[in-house]
Amino acid sequence: MSDIATTHATKGTIGENASRPDGGPKVRGEFAFSGDLWADGMLWGRTLRSPHPAARIIAIDIAAALRIPGVHAVVTAADLPASVNYGLEWRDQPVFATDVVRYVGEPVAAVAADHPEAARQACEAIDVQYEPQVPLLDPAEAAAAPPIHPDGNVFRQLTIRTGDPSARGPIVVEGAYEVGMQDQAFMGPEAGLAIPADDGGIDLIVSTQWLHNDRLQVAECLGLAPEKVRLSLGGVGGAFGAREDVSLQIHACLLAQRTARPIKIVYSREESFLGHVHRHPARIWMRHSAEADGRLVSFEARILLDGGAYRSSSYHVVANATCFSAGPYKVENALAEGIGVRTNNPPCGAMRGFGAVQVCFAHEAQMDKLAEACGVDPVEIRLRNALATGDRLLTGQVIEGTLPVARVIREAAALPLPPSPEIADPMTRPGGAGRTADAAHVRRGIGFAVGFKNLMYAEGYMDGSAARCRLSDGLATVTCAAAEVGQGFVTLAQQIARTVLGVEDVLLAPADTSIGSAGSSSASRQTWMSGGAVEKACQAVRAALLQHVADRHGIDPAQLTITDGRVTSTDARDSIDLAVADAAPGVVFEEEVEYHHRITHPLDDDGQGDAHVSLVCAAHRAVVDVDPDLGLIRVVQVATAQDVGRALNPLQVLGQIEGGIAQGLGLATMEELTLRNGRILNPSFTDYLIPTALDMPEVLATLVEEPEPGAPFGAKGVGEPPTISSTPAIVAALRAATGKALNRVPVRPQDIALGDGE
Amino acid sequence: MPERVATLSPIRLSVNGREYQLELDHRTTLLDALRENLDLTGSKKGCDHGQCGACTVMLDGRRANACLIFAVAAQTHDITTIEGVGAAGNLHPLQQAFIDHDGLQCGYCTPGQICSAVAMLAEVEAGWPSAVTPDVAAGPVDLDESETRERMSGNLCRCGAYVNIVAAIQDVVG
Amino acid sequence: MKEFGYERPAHPTDALAMIAGVAGARFLGGGTNLVDLMKLGVETPAVLIDVTALPYDFVTDDADGGLRVGSGTRNSDLAAHLAVRRRYPALAQAVLAGASGQLRNMATVGGNLLQRTRCPYFQDVTKPCNKRVPDSGCPARDGEHHNLAILGGSDLCIATNPSDMAVALAAFDAVVFVEEPAGPRAVPIADFYRLPADEPQRETTLEPGALITAVALPALPWAANSRYRKARERASYSFAIGSVAVALDVADGMVRDVRIALGAVAPIPWRAYRAEQSLRGQPATEVAFREAADAELEWAQPLRDNRYKVPLVRNLMVRTLIELVQAS
Repeated sequence: MSDIATTHATKGTIGENASRPDGGPKVRGEFAFSGDLWADGMLWGRTLRSPHPAARIIAIDIAAALRIPGVHAVVTAADLPASVNYGLEWRDQPVFATDVVRYVGEPVAAVAADHPEAARQACEAIDVQYEPQVPLLDPAEAAAAPPIHPDGNVFRQLTIRTGDPSARGPIVVEGAYEVGMQDQAFMGPEAGLAIPADDGGIDLIVSTQWLHNDRLQVAECLGLAPEKVRLSLGGVGGAFGAREDVSLQIHACLLAQRTARPIKIVYSREESFLGHVHRHPARIWMRHSAEADGRLVSFEARILLDGGAYRSSSYHVVANATCFSAGPYKVENALAEGIGVRTNNPPCGAMRGFGAVQVCFAHEAQMDKLAEACGVDPVEIRLRNALATGDRLLTGQVIEGTLPVARVIREAAALPLPPSPEIADPMTRPGGAGRTADAAHVRRGIGFAVGFKNLMYAEGYMDGSAARCRLSDGLATVTCAAAEVGQGFVTLAQQIARTVLGVEDVLLAPADTSIGSAGSSSASRQTWMSGGAVEKACQAVRAALLQHVADRHGIDPAQLTITDGRVTSTDARDSIDLAVADAAPGVVFEEEVEYHHRITHPLDDDGQGDAHVSLVCAAHRAVVDVDPDLGLIRVVQVATAQDVGRALNPLQVLGQIEGGIAQGLGLATMEELTLRNGRILNPSFTDYLIPTALDMPEVLATLVEEPEPGAPFGAKGVGEPPTISSTPAIVAALRAATGKALNRVPVRPQDIALGDGE
Repeated sequence: MPERVATLSPIRLSVNGREYQLELDHRTTLLDALRENLDLTGSKKGCDHGQCGACTVMLDGRRANACLIFAVAAQTHDITTIEGVGAAGNLHPLQQAFIDHDGLQCGYCTPGQICSAVAMLAEVEAGWPSAVTPDVAAGPVDLDESETRERMSGNLCRCGAYVNIVAAIQDVVG
Repeated sequence: MKEFGYERPAHPTDALAMIAGVAGARFLGGGTNLVDLMKLGVETPAVLIDVTALPYDFVTDDADGGLRVGSGTRNSDLAAHLAVRRRYPALAQAVLAGASGQLRNMATVGGNLLQRTRCPYFQDVTKPCNKRVPDSGCPARDGEHHNLAILGGSDLCIATNPSDMAVALAAFDAVVFVEEPAGPRAVPIADFYRLPADEPQRETTLEPGALITAVALPALPWAANSRYRKARERASYSFAIGSVAVALDVADGMVRDVRIALGAVAPIPWRAYRAEQSLRGQPATEVAFREAADAELEWAQPLRDNRYKVPLVRNLMVRTLIELVQAS
């Protein structure tokens, strides 16, 4: 082994296309997702949910349910031993509804039975007497309406005021825009297994984005000390924001406590649509004014987000939507007002792009209108206004890190265009599978959009992540509670350990609550935060190893380094050349660290403050072919340049970019939860359409690498930007092809043509 | 009144070359029988309504949604699940290609994608046309990118790993 | 799901005896629709009689030059059959346009003919639906109906038939062979489906306990010049928002004969007789095609959110006719 190591560099380090450590088990079907778990004596849990958007609960009778053979427990709010409310940021959501229900799908009771069918029958047998109320469904009426919750109907109202918002340039454009309710629609429905422990505590294996936050909420509601609630990560079948809130965690643990039996809960697809938060639907008004050459003079925005019945992360979605409402453009004078309200619609919260998605759709439509009004090319007008390091955000914060807006615009615009529709493969025409469109009727459109957002949490949140590294005879073991949800953090953790320690064997311990919190796998933060924690832990172990070698040889550890898997000295006279594996036989080095990013600050009454850690941007150019007579759309190509800081695993970065574009395409052309009287009409994959392989366009991507100061390895999170500006780029292309205003997404066939009486 | 009908039966399933004897309620789908009774959890339940493809298995070599077949009705078939794809210790070329091309992220749809792709290649081999085949009356089809995408459209991937999934399949076709 | 019995007879006589013998018995083919509806609680059979062992998995030539397709033939085998692809290409295309590779491998021809509507209210047992529960009401007219009928609906029901295959069969004047308690019967497809009128729960003219055994495609040499086009909201693996099956016989620039059927616009696969009639003997021009389409759609009764279907299917008809002129 040492012979090989002397001639070859350590494989699978930072910057390489290292393979996922979970790839083998996943392609063999051996990877255990949370829904695959099983325990001896296990019971099946199930949740009874409200059929009403707003109702008083007069009575709940569980007697008939308890009589069903195989039913072991029925629990309601009355059975909660401690806190009756939970919530990601604010505990405003009842674990089970007590006197009122506030949305269709709100949990009212849960049952445990020895078979899923008995559990289903038991739910049906629970007699809940409701007195339906008139629901509050229109978010525009919510702020002024009588409160539907003791905390009121406004989650947050944020005004950002800078410069002189009444200033006017000679060119003025305005518009009103709407974004429908998108769902994360991950493939693996919510699932978990709660196992009562001998010490009176609970072990919960669950698919989640944030083990420690779940633990805290479970512990509060069960009246247990947090250390008595031990969570470990079950395999996660996608997340995209929808697993940041608690779903079945408290229900499963309560039933396990009640029955002293392991409880498994797996949501059906329909229940999954009801049981997690969605992307906030938005109504947005914007007015931009500019000089004749297109340079922005003023910006005004009013943003209304429907948060649904409970707060979830609405408070911070409002912040993001408002802070980034102008897009990555310089503007001195601005007034942006964002409000997130409570209604009797399904709760909304985190989804990839978190508030930036909705406003990007609006500000990019506005930039195109401005380009047209000024007679300037859409790419050029964006370049003229592009933010750069040293500029100020709407919030007054000076951009200190990298933000290569102009560069991503230029690089995306420079990517090659696809062949014209006349000569393109007829298979790639709109209608796809149906070969329904003819070349003669196809109209091509090209659209461009730029988006940006922050990385990590904001407004003074003390964010951190913990990691442990253990090194023994060349085998490194990394422990971190960061949730692997498909984004590839596990690959990255190995790459970081290999890079720092010069070893190839890196084991990842299971993600669980035996170590400190890693924070959530959201906000594009794990590469930085948990990547930073893993790096720091590995660096500490590396220092200890080098100290050990230095002590043995009686030299200064500062002279020692690890290169290509070997400990060598920078001083040739030392003649030290040891494989890392042989450098300290039998010695175990172990270090646990916490990593924090720099401090941020709350926003003041004018929405001013240094609220954000770091920013990231991307540009997208979409090419679409449309057959307007048939309402058919084909996204032919999406070209993108993305600010990635540094690509730690280019193949995985591209995967995130392609996947984000797929979801952006979905929002642009097909995805919307349709509500009627607060009820989701399409909670299925037949009626809530997500893109197939055939809908997926060609993707050309340029990774713009300008290392971010202060970020581990200079890398930025890459998951969110692809979902932000891909949607507006596609819609801009549809506008170019059809001449229609298209102020709402998703764009449906009937929107691009086929109007009344046509 | 007719006599009470039996609602459970002894059931014989042939899965991955092994015979299993079970007694199952007729309501048990093949997917649930595989997952709950035979501990073969590689086939995933994504929707349970035939709308996502995560449960794709092969019946006599033909791909099918295990969630829409009752186990009692699956007894006549030789069933192959992801656990039966590739030899012990040796990945099927498609499995290896999915790893090499990073054709997965969360991996939940992956077993279904791979089972579907294995059977899809056999369909192409047999000369079956698809909805994007320009002339259904013509003979053999060339599995180009559009054909691959259309033929794999019954397997949803929310992570959007489609580009790499298609590349992995194309790589195996050569 | 309600408990049920299961039988898998090998002989048609046994199958017919079984279905006659048990109240609430239902035939099970590929199951792609029935199993789904059982999971939703829409269907609650007491016994499933699995018909996949019956000798109905075949595609053979009929003496008159047509084709006969067994009702147990899987959709994928139907679409892959060379005779179907060459002589009735619109049928192969229609089948291939539906569902997914996995579903087509399971779904049978007989089951596809009896596919139930995708109307969201029919699928949701917590909602009224005149088709599922007679006289319970229809929320679709004022509710979610963007993919419901513009032709042939009634005050009680505007559900659409979701089948792609049946649209092509309608265009080709297929004949459905059934075994009924009273004996065998050959039902022209034009008489097979019922419009909802005041009995939306009755979707076909079949007697209770009827067993579909085969579908005949009558000889139609010019059916080789046929085409199925489908518009939908995503590129693949989704139901139609409008579709058309057209066969065209054109000579010297004149329409000698034509067949047009529309999908996703009516409670049944909609044969566009008026359009056909207005075209026969006319010049094969875009103007004539537009007039023909308008002649059919003049009768459309669109609602608030499905008006787009009128121009959509008009354009589908015209485009497909033009394409078939160019192909001949």
